[in-house]
Amino acid sequence: MKVIIVGCGRVGARLAKQLDAEGHQVTVVDQLVSAFNRLGRDFGGNMIVGNCIDEAVLRRAGVEKADCFVSVTNGDNRNLMAAQIAQRFFKVPRVITRLYDPIRQSVYREMGLETFCPTSLGADLVRDYFLTGVNRGHETADDPSTVGAS
Amino acid sequence: MSPAGEPPYVIIVGGGKVGYHLARHLIERDYEVTLVEKDAVRAEWIEHQLGTVSVMVGDGDEMAFLATTGIERASAVIGTTGDDEDNLIVCQLAKTKFSVPRTIARVNNPHNVAVFKALGVDAPVSATEVLMGLIEAELASELVRGVAVKASGACLVDLALPAVSGFVGKPVAEISLPKGGIIVCIVRGGRPVVPAPETVVEAGDELVVFSQLTDVAALGEAVARG
Repeated sequence: MKVIIVGCGRVGARLAKQLDAEGHQVTVVDQLVSAFNRLGRDFGGNMIVGNCIDEAVLRRAGVEKADCFVSVTNGDNRNLMAAQIAQRFFKVPRVITRLYDPIRQSVYREMGLETFCPTSLGADLVRDYFLTGVNRGHETADDPSTVGAS
Repeated sequence: MSPAGEPPYVIIVGGGKVGYHLARHLIERDYEVTLVEKDAVRAEWIEHQLGTVSVMVGDGDEMAFLATTGIERASAVIGTTGDDEDNLIVCQLAKTKFSVPRTIARVNNPHNVAVFKALGVDAPVSATEVLMGLIEAELASELVRGVAVKASGACLVDLALPAVSGFVGKPVAEISLPKGGIIVCIVRGGRPVVPAPETVVEAGDELVVFSQLTDVAALGEAVARG
């Protein structure tokens, strides 16, 4: 798959490393060069420095031929705008965006956007632990940088 | 829409330079205005300056907050922040959740005008684009130079049409030049065309005009204006 990830924070970088290690063609976009340090030395994908809500930058990242697009910058509105450009303007088949605000999530879900909300996911996780004693927070995969390192 | 007799109600999101001056201008024209500003200190300053305007401190992109601004009776919502993503989301929320009839957004990056339109903003306005058009026109009027015909006071002027010129699409007969200027030749694709009254001026044409030396600057302005 050709994947574009905008926002090279903790989530973006982790996802990029995972998909790259699994053999996908990954392009990461971030405004700050220093953000790419999170990808580590083994990352084999592309890195584009630029503003993710500028269609010229997204074109440079190969949005026209992308199969998947995810926006995980630290701004909800920025994520929403980037995702809508990818979905409606460039017709990327699979687009998903992170939103911290659950209300905005429900609005844009109605408008046909795939979203995920760490705020509600986190709250649900904690609530489940309190009620059942099972912590699903430990069920996630190992950090990709340590996979196969043993 | 507002009922007859009542002033139209407009919500401006973003109390920077653009939002502040716009609010002031609209109040002078008897609009009812609410200005939304995130920063409490800035909001207080604006309230102090404008007196009559209602300034609300809050996030224009928070649904719950927007619902407290009387948005359902607004005839227009205008996003004037310096961030395109915020202006877009405000307009989309206003349109889809509150059925505001007209949404207007300041577009900071001129690349985004087409994107805003595709994503449902009624009127994206790019100050940069407007400014570029005006500067280009100014530049065109500055760049006009005449070649004097002997010492007769007359000259030949080569006018490259700027993209914004109102001359484009008009037949020669309908083009009015200052004080009896005459189009003696149209240079099209590097070749001279002898103009007939019905010859239509195209984008990219250069006009060779016979004129008075004293009218050269006015000619440049005429071309820019159309």
